[in-house]
Amino acid sequence: MKICQVEGTLVATARIGSLQNRRLLVVKERGSNGKQVAVDPVGCKPGDWVIAVGSSAARDAAGSKDYPSDLTIVGIIDYWDDASGQAGANAGANPAPKTSSKAGVKTDANPSRRT
Amino acid sequence: MQILRVVRDLVTTKRNFWLSAKALRVVEDHRGNLEVALDPLGAKPGDFVVTIGLSAARTAAGNPNITTDLTIGGIIDHWDEERWRN
Repeated sequence: MKICQVEGTLVATARIGSLQNRRLLVVKERGSNGKQVAVDPVGCKPGDWVIAVGSSAARDAAGSKDYPSDLTIVGIIDYWDDASGQAGANAGANPAPKTSSKAGVKTDANPSRRT
Repeated sequence: MQILRVVRDLVTTKRNFWLSAKALRVVEDHRGNLEVALDPLGAKPGDFVVTIGLSAARTAAGNPNITTDLTIGGIIDHWDEERWRN
């Protein structure tokens, strides 16, 4: 799974029928500056840090095996301090990191957040 | 899924049976790398499109037997080049 930050919604009126009327979001993967597009069944806001699955799991995560998605958001991270995430990656250089990068990661599968 | 721009049509008369008679387009990414995508929609050169890769490209093509690894899923309504390059 990838850690991404949501940039905004993407409007594509002309789309293939099997994409249905799902929300598409422009996301930026952590540690790279390339933009990607993900299907959002959860309901994210711009600026949210999210986890997204790729490959064939993305199709299942979007709701059905026939849904044509190669990147689907599966959870909103409750707390992600990007600086601490980098500190966790360089744990050897920093002898006493105050927070573990994984400590704050929780998925949000609460359907009440759906919009 | 990626945001790519359509460059031009691609004509291949002699082709794999499972590509059938689907339209192909040459698309480029923000760095200018070219790729070929199956186009079930009819995108025009210059259009910014959302492309679907991996095995989902085959379902997006409408028939999971079609042999493609990149399919155009939608034409983006509003997108500008500056946002794309950065």
